[in-house]
Order: sequence, then structure tokens, then C-alpha cells
Amino acid sequence: MAAVKRPLALALLRLFAVQGSYNYERMLGVGVGVAEEPLLRDLDDGKYRPAVARGAHFFNSHPYLVGLAVGAAARAEHDGAPPDQIERLREALCGPLGSLGDRLIWAGWLPLLSGLTLAAVALGAGWIAVASFLVVYNIGHVALRWWALKAGWTHGTRVSVALHHPVLQKAGALLGPAMAFAVGAALPLTAAYLSAPFESWARVALSIVAALSFLGFRLRGDRLNGLRLSLALAALALVVGVIWQ
Amino acid sequence: MILPLELLIALVVWGTFVGVDLVSLPQMMIARPLVAGTVAGAILGDIPTGLKLGVVFELLQYDILPVGAVRYPEYGPATVAAVATAHASAGVLGLGLGALVGLVTGLFGGLTINLLRRVNSRIIHNAAARLESGDPSALVRVHVGGLLRDALRAAVVTVFGLVLAWLARPLLGGVLSVRGAVLLAVAVVGTALAAGAAGTLRLVGRGPNLAWFAAGLAGGIAATIWLR
Repeated sequence: MAAVKRPLALALLRLFAVQGSYNYERMLGVGVGVAEEPLLRDLDDGKYRPAVARGAHFFNSHPYLVGLAVGAAARAEHDGAPPDQIERLREALCGPLGSLGDRLIWAGWLPLLSGLTLAAVALGAGWIAVASFLVVYNIGHVALRWWALKAGWTHGTRVSVALHHPVLQKAGALLGPAMAFAVGAALPLTAAYLSAPFESWARVALSIVAALSFLGFRLRGDRLNGLRLSLALAALALVVGVIWQ
Repeated sequence: MILPLELLIALVVWGTFVGVDLVSLPQMMIARPLVAGTVAGAILGDIPTGLKLGVVFELLQYDILPVGAVRYPEYGPATVAAVATAHASAGVLGLGLGALVGLVTGLFGGLTINLLRRVNSRIIHNAAARLESGDPSALVRVHVGGLLRDALRAAVVTVFGLVLAWLARPLLGGVLSVRGAVLLAVAVVGTALAAGAAGTLRLVGRGPNLAWFAAGLAGGIAATIWLR
């Protein structure tokens, strides 16, 4: 196992850049191949190059959980699994790793900590809240990347076992409500923080703009997004602001 | 906005790191507007402005769920440019002008991300034979090339935003009335708050988490009233 530590560490480091060549043809594939390569170096000459080529084929999932596929595919190559089985394993992992990562990170861990930080900044915690966000977020981030790579390498083709890990199930159940509560609490505090420098008429205008924009997003969310509406309203405000001297 | 050269270089370097962090390396969330804005504020010796614009763009970021190959604006370098703009103009005028510059930069950043992905696709398509041969050095070269292109893209977006920041004050600050500046800030802050709420509700859905959101909202409103 000691001999595997260095390639695993190298693979982990490369996983931090797994989306470096993100593209519409292979998505994360090339990055996955680069991350998997150190784990394949001790294969026979005849097996090494085909395994490296396979590793760089199309792949798409949540970037923090890609390690699971990298470790599992590399272990399967070492175990002598047939190439088509390894290709099927990679294909089968795309969907579950994507949806699990999106649920845990993009819809859980990240907005939870962001909401807590917004609330803390609004309450006057300043840059310390932002620094704490970075530290706490990345403890979870790095731990997840390392766990995923190790679990993939340990389980190989039976990697689906790792996806049913009780900690993942529990985290999924806890993060949703915690995120909803934290961001819900942060919104009014943030509104008060941002509106503090405004005069009373501007606060009334702010409430109207926020309420109408919210209605717009709820009713026409398919066409409207924050950037488009902000730019349109800012352009309107500029015109009014130039005329209304 | 006239900043000393060393501060401009520091902002470009920071904006580049922020832009690369969004997708390529290492995704440790320095690309989040709260972080990007606070550090940009620290570089300029104006953390409160950095925090304020960081909060505005963080709310707009809730509008985005970066799943799959979805296209989205890039708010990291945009926040850096917004803070640089706001730093040059005091109070509400700074907030409004900063947010405007940030929005335009965010739009431009999003376009460059899409362009970069297309360029990467073409390069990888052309390198298919070398990649299929399993040559590890070819694989690494293609990948590192993508990383370097993203760094260049992030630097270009940051410079674009800083040029807008440099132009904003003389072009708009002079013609905009005080009321106009307030209206501009109201428009962007109001939309950001709405985008934050609507984006969160999309994540929360109609299931049991909605009750948790309502409980949090009630708690937040109570705390806001109590602290007044």
C-alpha cells in the first residue's frame, strides 16, 4: 500500500485541476485521464497506453467526486477488468456522481456556508466571516475529494458500494434543511445591510424593485435571469438618472 | 479611477486567480463574489466596499446552479472590477456604478467561458489521434494548454473590467444626478435580493425544505427588527 501512496497523492493533486481543459466534446474526460495516469504507471507496457487513452474518454460528473471514477477505473485496470467493462463503469458513474455532487455541494454545502457568511457579514463580522467561509468550505471540499479517490481505488468495479456510505446519506438529509434555513435567515439581514445607506424613499423603491423582480423570476424564470434583469433595470435607471436632474 | 500601477497589477493578478478558480483550478471558492470582493477591497485598503459589492454579487450568484455544461455569467473578476469602480466614487454612487461595471464584466466573462470551451473542443478534437495513442505527454500538454488558456481568459476579463472601471467615473459620474445614482443602486440591489430569494427557492423546491426556508426567513426578519 505504501507504494500506492505517492501515485494516489499525485492523482489527488491533479484532481484539483480536473476541469482545466473543460470542453463540449469530452467534457472532463481529458482532466480525468491526466488525474488517472499516475495510478496506471506500474501497469505493463502493453496495458499502460490503452488504459491512459481510455481514461481520457468522455466523462462528466461533479468535479469534487470525479476521484471516485478515477480510483475505480484505475483499480479495475490493475485488476485486469475487460476494457468494455471499464468503459461501462465510467459511463454508469457519470449520472450518479453528478447528481450526488450537485445535491451535496452546489445545492447544500456551498449555499449553506454562503448563507451563513452573508448573515455574518450583515451582522458586522466583516472579513473574518469571509475567511472562516473559505477555511470551513475547503475542509469539506478537500476531505470529499480525498475520500472519493480512496473509495474508488479501494472498491474498483464495486464502487457503487461507496455511494451508499451512511455519511453521504446523512449529509444529504441534513444539508438541504440547513441550507434552506440559513439562506432564509440571511436574506432579510442582507436586505437591511444593503439598504442601510439609502434614504427612506429609496428604501421604498428598493422594496418595490425587489418584489417585482422576484415576481418576474417566479413567473418567467425560463426567460429572465438575474444578470439580464439587473442590466435592463440598471440601463433604465441610468436613463432616468440622466434626465431627472 | 486612477490607481497606482502596483495596485492595478495586484488587482489583475487577483482577478486572474479568481477567474481560474471558477472552473479550472482549484475550485476552492475564491471565485465566490464574497471572497473576490473582500480581497479586492483589502488590496485597495477599502474592505467595507469590497464586502458590500461582494454581498450584492453573491446574491446574484444564487441565480446560478453550475451543473453540466450550463452557461452562466462570471461574477468573480466582475466583483473585482466592481470594487475598483466603487472605491473611486464614494457612497451610493460608488455602489451603483460598481454594480453596473460588474454586471457588464460578468456578462463578458460568461461569453469568454463559452468561447474557451469551444476552442478547447476544437483543440481536443484535432488531438484525438494522439490522445487515442495513450501518449501521456500529449495528454498532459493538451490539458495544461487548456489551463493556460483559462488563465489568459481570466486575465483578459479582469483587464476588461478594470478598463470599464476607469471609464465609468468620468463618463457616467458627471452626467448622473444624485437621485440617478441612487436609482441605479436601487435597481441592482433590488434585483440582486430578488435573484437571491428566487434562486434559493429553486434549490429548496416545494418539499419539506420549504418549511425550513420559511422558518429561517421568519427568524431573519425577527432578528432584523430586533437589531434596528
